[in-house]
Amino acid sequence: MNSATARRDGIKHAFLWPAFLVVLLISLFPLIYALTVSFQTMRIVPPMPPRFVGVQNYAEILASARFWGSMWTTAVITVLSVVLEYILGFALALALHHNVPGASLYRVTFLLPMFLAPVGVALIARMVFHPYLGPVNDLMGALGVGNLPFLTEPNLAMAVLITVEVWQWTPFVTLLLLAGLQSLPGEVFEAARVDNVPVWRRFWDITFPMLLPLSVAVVFIRLIEGFKVIDTVFVLTGGGPGTSTETLTLFAYNEGFKKFNIGMTSALSFTFLVVVIVFGTVYLALAQRLTRRYA
Amino acid sequence: MAHVEMEQVSKSFGTATVIPPLDLSIRDGEFLVLVGPSGCGKTTTLRMLAGLETVSGGRIAIGGRDVTHARPGERDIAMVFQNYALYPHMTVRDNIGYAMRVHGTDRGTIDARVAEASRLLGLEPYLDRKPRNLSGGQRQRVAIGRALVRHPQVFLFDEPLSNLDAKLRVEMRTEIKLLQRRLGTTAVYVTHDQVEAMTMADRVVVMRAGVIEQAADPITLYERPANRFVANFIGSPAMNFLPARIERGAVHLVSQVLPLPPEEAARLRERGDVLFGIRPEHMRPSAHQASLTLEPRAIEPLGPHTLVLGDVGGHRVTAQVDPRFPVQVGQPCVVTVDMTQAHFFDPVTEARL
Ligand SMILES: Nc1ncnc2c1ncn2[C@@H]1O[C@H](COP(=O)(O)OP(=O)(O)O)[C@@H](O)[C@H]1O
Ligand SMILES: [Mg+2]
Repeated sequence: MNSATARRDGIKHAFLWPAFLVVLLISLFPLIYALTVSFQTMRIVPPMPPRFVGVQNYAEILASARFWGSMWTTAVITVLSVVLEYILGFALALALHHNVPGASLYRVTFLLPMFLAPVGVALIARMVFHPYLGPVNDLMGALGVGNLPFLTEPNLAMAVLITVEVWQWTPFVTLLLLAGLQSLPGEVFEAARVDNVPVWRRFWDITFPMLLPLSVAVVFIRLIEGFKVIDTVFVLTGGGPGTSTETLTLFAYNEGFKKFNIGMTSALSFTFLVVVIVFGTVYLALAQRLTRRYA
Repeated sequence: MAHVEMEQVSKSFGTATVIPPLDLSIRDGEFLVLVGPSGCGKTTTLRMLAGLETVSGGRIAIGGRDVTHARPGERDIAMVFQNYALYPHMTVRDNIGYAMRVHGTDRGTIDARVAEASRLLGLEPYLDRKPRNLSGGQRQRVAIGRALVRHPQVFLFDEPLSNLDAKLRVEMRTEIKLLQRRLGTTAVYVTHDQVEAMTMADRVVVMRAGVIEQAADPITLYERPANRFVANFIGSPAMNFLPARIERGAVHLVSQVLPLPPEEAARLRERGDVLFGIRPEHMRPSAHQASLTLEPRAIEPLGPHTLVLGDVGGHRVTAQVDPRFPVQVGQPCVVTVDMTQAHFFDPVTEARL
């Protein structure tokens, strides 16, 4: 290598380092800072000087029943709502794709829930499910069921949270699956019609497998997003009754902004990150097995 | 006996009439080719036959059974599409056997038929591959295999070869033709390529704007085209057309006189205005030949023969001549015309005289 190329080669550092440092500063630094904090006790109220405690925060979390409760709550809400979103979303996408009567009306409005802020949706839902003023209980009353304590009975509260999630995010699934359906080659389905393949078999043997890779991606996005649910829970139940509907994020929030236990909150955030990564990896591994059977 | 019968079948999309009432009957075991320029309604006609498109009027019968309003699956037909339409996530074996599996055919029969079809089409080495790992020609073979394992009453083909390269197209058209002969299944084949139509068909149906211009065997179509459109569409390079008069047993072009054979002259008698048609390959010596002087504009040597693109009285004329024929651009030359192969059309109705 002669000196001219060596000099030109040196220039690469001038281009590489600034970008690398910026990334380091704005994305890695907060993470690393939070990670170090998670190994300390750091309380704002009452003020306490930070003290290194090793993995004590993590040990405390893993030993806490409240953590495992919030984990279970999060998993139940996420898995049930994503399953329902996928089934409903697929059904609606099929209806829209095949122009079922009334589809054009729905086509105009079906995206609306997705555009609303989750907090707004939760506030609406809070009124709708209000034990005395809400229309749902008016209906229950009319049906002779009587008033149901929607937000104050643990199982009902979970059901309401799942309903709200499904209501808000089904359109997202519908939108993506509809786009997928419309990109499938029409001739393949005509070939199946000519071969006298019944509608139900056409769906299971052709449509579903052809949309499987897209489905895997859509469900993945919803799972990861669903895991982070906090706003609807915060507004609707505040994690109650007791801590029966407290999700992981809400638990972390309560630790940080009600008890001002910053070290513990950081440790919780990292635990949360690990949970999401494990969950996501397991899901992707399973999904890959499924798609390999078809693709 | 007519195997497929279309009676007064018509099709409109909204207010646009694509197929005015059309009659067509196809014999058992016949290889019928629908040919015509792009957009003339060939695909629409075929899709109505398949039941993928509803008819706006008329009646369709297959094997003596009225299927006008039957679903595609109830018609006992098989179709091969231009873009193959294979199931992308199934192997070749599954693609071919899928319909039988859906209909509950037993395992042994499916395996036997798939084996038979793949042997016939040379697909044995690829049975466990997915369509995306096959070439265009192989994919189209799979599509054909999928159609023939069902032993349908009628095969429908919609431009199955137009995505293949020229060499493969020539091979596949022979293969399809031989296969259909062997199976003896009635086939309706759509193409815009007149060479494909001529080489494959028992009978060719030439369409224009949804109307059948002529339905005949390839030789009749070539030798006795029913009108100017068919004459122009069939044959390559296309027939030359020149306005002319017929007087005293000869064709009079602007200032040239080409004598007709006596029996033609007697049949046509005197006519003021006619369209004189002559194919480039019929510019050759014969018992009744005439001389035509043309102004060469360009010369295209093709090897076995040479095309002279010239001008006669302001009309373009193509002549096919021997490679050693002395001709130079800009210098008028005289070609021999075989007057027994002359065609005459009415200049207004464009019908054959
Ligand atoms: N679904 C449709 N809606 C409206 N017009 C159509 C439709 N399908 C075909 N056409 C029209 O019908 C005519 C014939 O089409 P087609 O049968 O596909 O022609 P070809 O196969 O001979 O090229 C074309 O002018 C085309 O634009
Ligand atoms: Mg077409």
